[in-house]
Amino acid sequence: MTPTGNSGNQDKILILATETCAYPGADSTGQAHSSYPANTYILRVRAPVLFPESFYLDCFQKGISGIIIMSCGEECPYEGAYKDLAKRVDRVYAAMKEKGLDINRLRLTAICTVCNRAFLNEVNRMNDLVQELGPPQFAATA
Amino acid sequence: MTNPNDKENKDDTHNGKVGVYICHCGGNISDHVDVDKVRDAAEDLSCVKVARTNMFMCSDPGQNMIIEDLENGEVDRVVVASCAPSLHETTFRSAVERAGANPFVYEHANIREQVSWVHHGDPATDKASTLVAAAAAKAENLEPLHPVRVDAFRHATVIGAGIAGMKTAVDIARQGIDVALVEKTTQPGGRLNTLHTLAPDGEKAGDVVDAFYEEIQNSERITVYPNTQVNDVKGYVGNFTLTLATDGENGRADTTVDTGAIVMATGSQSYTPFNGEYAYGEHPQVITLPELIQTLAENSGDENTLTVNGKKIRNMVMIHCVGSRRIPGIHETKEDANLNEYCSRTCCSAVLHAGNFIRETFPGTSIFDMYRDIRTYGRGQEELYNRAAENRVVFMRFEADAPPRVESSDTGNFPLSVTVSDGLTFNEEMTVPADLVVLATGVEPTDISGIAGMLKLPRGNDGFLNEVHPKLRPVELPVTGVFLAGTCQAPMDSSEACNTAGAAAAKVSALLGKGYIELDPFVAHVDEEKCTGTGACVDACLVDDALELVETEVAGQTVKKARVTAALCQGCGACVAVCPENAIEVNGWTLKQYEAMVDAIAAA
Amino acid sequence: MAEPQVQHFDTIVIGGGIAGLQSALDLADQGYRVAVVEKDASIGGKMIRLSKVFPTLDCASCITTPKMASAAHHENITLFTYCNVDGIVRMGEEIHARITQNPRYVDPDKCIGCRKCEYACPVYLPDMEQGGFSAKKAISIPFSNAIPQVAVLDAEHCMLCGQCETVCPTDAVDYFMEPETFTLTARTAVLSTGFELSPVKDKAQYGNGEIPNVIDSLQMERLLAPHGPYNRVLRPSDGMEPDSIAYVQCAGSRDKSMGVSYCSRVCCMYAIKQAMLLSGALPLADITIYYMDIRAFGKGYEQFYQNAKAMGIEFVKAKVARINEGDGGSVTVRYENQDGGGIQTMDHDLVVLSMGILPGWRPEPYCPVSTDSDRFITSIKPKISPVLTDMEGVFAAGAAAGPKDIVDTISESGSAAVEAAKYMQASEPILETQP
Ligand SMILES: Cc1cc2nc3c(=O)[nH]c(=O)nc-3n(C[C@H](O)[C@H](O)[C@H](O)COP(=O)(O)OP(=O)(O)OC[C@H]3O[C@@H](n4cnc5c(N)ncnc54)[C@H](O)[C@@H]3O)c2cc1C
Ligand SMILES: Cc1cc2nc3c(=O)[nH]c(=O)nc-3n(C[C@H](O)[C@H](O)[C@H](O)COP(=O)(O)OP(=O)(O)OC[C@H]3O[C@@H](n4cnc5c(N)ncnc54)[C@H](O)[C@@H]3O)c2cc1C
Repeated sequence: MTPTGNSGNQDKILILATETCAYPGADSTGQAHSSYPANTYILRVRAPVLFPESFYLDCFQKGISGIIIMSCGEECPYEGAYKDLAKRVDRVYAAMKEKGLDINRLRLTAICTVCNRAFLNEVNRMNDLVQELGPPQFAATA
Repeated sequence: MTNPNDKENKDDTHNGKVGVYICHCGGNISDHVDVDKVRDAAEDLSCVKVARTNMFMCSDPGQNMIIEDLENGEVDRVVVASCAPSLHETTFRSAVERAGANPFVYEHANIREQVSWVHHGDPATDKASTLVAAAAAKAENLEPLHPVRVDAFRHATVIGAGIAGMKTAVDIARQGIDVALVEKTTQPGGRLNTLHTLAPDGEKAGDVVDAFYEEIQNSERITVYPNTQVNDVKGYVGNFTLTLATDGENGRADTTVDTGAIVMATGSQSYTPFNGEYAYGEHPQVITLPELIQTLAENSGDENTLTVNGKKIRNMVMIHCVGSRRIPGIHETKEDANLNEYCSRTCCSAVLHAGNFIRETFPGTSIFDMYRDIRTYGRGQEELYNRAAENRVVFMRFEADAPPRVESSDTGNFPLSVTVSDGLTFNEEMTVPADLVVLATGVEPTDISGIAGMLKLPRGNDGFLNEVHPKLRPVELPVTGVFLAGTCQAPMDSSEACNTAGAAAAKVSALLGKGYIELDPFVAHVDEEKCTGTGACVDACLVDDALELVETEVAGQTVKKARVTAALCQGCGACVAVCPENAIEVNGWTLKQYEAMVDAIAAA
Repeated sequence: MAEPQVQHFDTIVIGGGIAGLQSALDLADQGYRVAVVEKDASIGGKMIRLSKVFPTLDCASCITTPKMASAAHHENITLFTYCNVDGIVRMGEEIHARITQNPRYVDPDKCIGCRKCEYACPVYLPDMEQGGFSAKKAISIPFSNAIPQVAVLDAEHCMLCGQCETVCPTDAVDYFMEPETFTLTARTAVLSTGFELSPVKDKAQYGNGEIPNVIDSLQMERLLAPHGPYNRVLRPSDGMEPDSIAYVQCAGSRDKSMGVSYCSRVCCMYAIKQAMLLSGALPLADITIYYMDIRAFGKGYEQFYQNAKAMGIEFVKAKVARINEGDGGSVTVRYENQDGGGIQTMDHDLVVLSMGILPGWRPEPYCPVSTDSDRFITSIKPKISPVLTDMEGVFAAGAAAGPKDIVDTISESGSAAVEAAKYMQASEPILETQP
């Protein structure tokens, strides 16, 4: 990755935000004009259960420093999806450990449509972490 | 069914010509984001053919820019970078459609709520450029989509002909849709056939049944199937085929019915106390509320005192919450039986209604009412409670863990005595001698394991059917095209049962009215060339029957391929994550599109 | 003035709360054209202003906004917000509704919801959308998730300084806007005008609303909302975190002396809900609910109540007789313990009154539909179709037809939609074909 002049913010955080809960939650934070770090990139998703384990690992490989999955939690409109997602995230953690990645770089959480404070907390926490850890370094695999 | 992924899409090769349109939002964006710089950055992207800015993209001039570029063939994919998609995504999709293009070749970049209102200075501009690049990367990979259209029978089947089922059938039929009304007993009416007058206003239960009965008999659109149960279900929303088994004099006869939707209205039944529960079954003068109601219908009413089982009733004790509101750890029940933690909702009013009738008709009969909470919540119900007090019904309140004790007695020639520690008089222990004890038994769901199993319908621990969401979709079951009405969902009185029936009928009418069903195009799609038939997607799928493995011929060999039933697919993508061949995607939200977006973000 | 405009629909829905929206959506999905007339500047009714909702405890906004958005975007639904109903009459085959569009002093077609006017405005007012606990400007978007996102100017408090007009990027501010009247016609109407809480100021024994730290239940909804006035639960008088909070149930219901002899039906459940949310927000606080009977009758409600008890929320069976101002901002509750113990007093840091539910609109003299002694709209067939009123082609749904929770409101609204559809399908008026 050639660090280009993105205002010194190479530690990118990817946010997968569900279209029914977390994405409007992020918009609500915007309506309140509450600022948060700009190294955050929000992708609108129907259900994060769509992403395979490899997607997350590829993201880190591509240089993304942190990923927050902002789901609907128990309010998930797809019955059973949240449970499957949580299991998948556990498997990603296992794979991350194998590759020597700090598992705190990936976080699964639930954000509601007006959960401004929770949104800001999550983003700030992840930002503190990636600032401290820097870009992902993969351990040499056997 | 039209396949949303027909060859038409295949012609669209992936080198989309993307147009990017960036909104100033009258300074809301441009005060913090250097819009020109964002445009310049967009112009540098290989997939972007034009990049323009406007003061207000949502204005007519703004939209016309898009329409012109599309009409001139300069672009065939559109990205607008502006406010949140909740505000204007539909606006721009319809602009794209007005230009004669497919509305799904559109992607939105949110640079107001998620950029200019939360970031400032260069980082804001850089982030906006990155989001535009990501949106353009997705747009390049967008394909035209078409709503999924499923033909539907203009026919619905209602299972259960209690008050809820009858009203559902009438309401649907009046919208011009044919209805099969399936009832397992000999006649419609359900629980109301056994009731006398109804709380709180005193209508005759028989009149309420007749109000619908006549219309059902006379309606050309409604076919009643008495003595009938559903034996088999095939198909899916719009296209179910049911086998009905009718018991008749000459044995059992099967009928097949093609139907577009199913409404569950299988109702509830009274709780039967176990042997010895408040001396029930041990003493003939301990009866249930439904049994009392039956005797009220039979009593002539020209005497001063109520007579039950040939005995004059001087003192009568009514005990609430029998078989309802049980608390784990405090209450017990027989093995196999449900605890019934819920409130049965109608008993308080039914008890007071019967009590008032008795006090007003048979002043020689005194009533002692032992309760935990009086739940006269509805319109006209609190009045029943007040009237009972005026009628000198004696109220006594007990705690869940200290229920009244009913015992045989020989004092003062009363056959029974009931002892309770009364919360209304400083928990004093009181003993009431009684000629009759009436147990206000709650309701339990009808046993519907057969039909619920066939349709794979979810039921709670208590056996009632569970709706999709109590507020968003209260009369829908998770199986698309299957609805519910009345007390198969939870206890409710007949007014409330009729309201849920109307709500279910509204949904069925909207679903079947047109004769076809139009669904979102965002459903899973299998790339048959890549699919190797592992079945992983079928296992991961969260909806029954939305995905299946079917055998097809490829080059003379029989192979298995996954097949999506678009009408049932919710488009969640659970299948996408598990396919080892990346052979399945959700239209409009493909993994490839997301990967392209991540690449664009990572490259920034 | 120009000729009054007339617009034709199949159904006019009066009231854009969850009841009106659900009826409108159910009719529009069947292909009927629906007008929704709402007196407030946003649709959504009480529900969009709640925190979380029993019994599932999902966030109110998360389940209201989708319905609001579907109604706003539906091709068969037209919204008329910030409008008064001056009269609804039947004329032959049609219902005529005379409507006044109140001036927002902001052109809704031009406003882009950017709030620049709001930031520029120098006039601060108590924000009643936040229970009066925080401030808003004299020109503002009603609340964050309002639909439509159009600013409204409070003409009564505006100083005409001109700042908003100057900063508005679309020239949407218009100080000279006038009310406009127009007529809607339709074959049917649904009345879904909801409820209001009975005012605290009429309750002398509870301090007429003058005791600090005695608030009503809707104000508590705002304190608990994720986007509430303080972002956390504080008591209004001094910003202290309350250690002891009490609920006074039946504060305006089941009480003939208040003219509200009926049960308001939702207060037990929302008090339990709020108590649960409070014990989440303030884990150390003591929460007491003074009640007469707990009426947890709906699906899952009894279990909800038992959970609250298990969580340590205290339920005291008592009728609260008086509330007085205590020391240091506290509130003294004097109650008659019905489980024995006689008259007792207790001090709390914050007291919430579960006020009674009154009809949101009195049809008289605007509409010849009858009301009952409880003043909610009369149903002529309460058993077989509670939504039928005594005015032909006019139906009632939701809290307008008696206090009701959201679940019961939504099913009743579907029922009203189907009755309206039946009426429009039938050549014979429904009143004659059903007993
Ligand atoms: C003791 C008592 C007193 C009451 N008093 C009042 C009162 O005063 N006022 C009031 O408003 N309400 C009262 N209620 C409530 C009222 O009875 C119910 O609200 C109403 O009967 C519910 O109607 P339903 O159609 O949901 O169910 P039901 O009346 O139970 O009807 C269900 C029907 O479905 C049929 N069925 C079941 N399973 C199948 C199957 N698999 N296939 C085909 N058919 C099937 C059954 O045979 C039945 O005919 C009382 C209830 C009880 C128990
Ligand atoms: C403190 C509190 C907490 C609650 N919590 C819950 C809960 O957790 N769960 C739950 O299920 N229920 C809860 N409820 C009940 C819930 O608020 C109601 O069930 C619901 O709001 C009823 O919806 P509605 O549309 O009938 O009425 P409303 O929400 O009152 O909507 C009526 C609409 O009509 C408009 N209107 C009125 N008059 C006119 C007119 N003349 N012209 C035009 N428009 C008019 C009003 O402005 C309003 O927008 C709670 C109630 C309270 C008071």
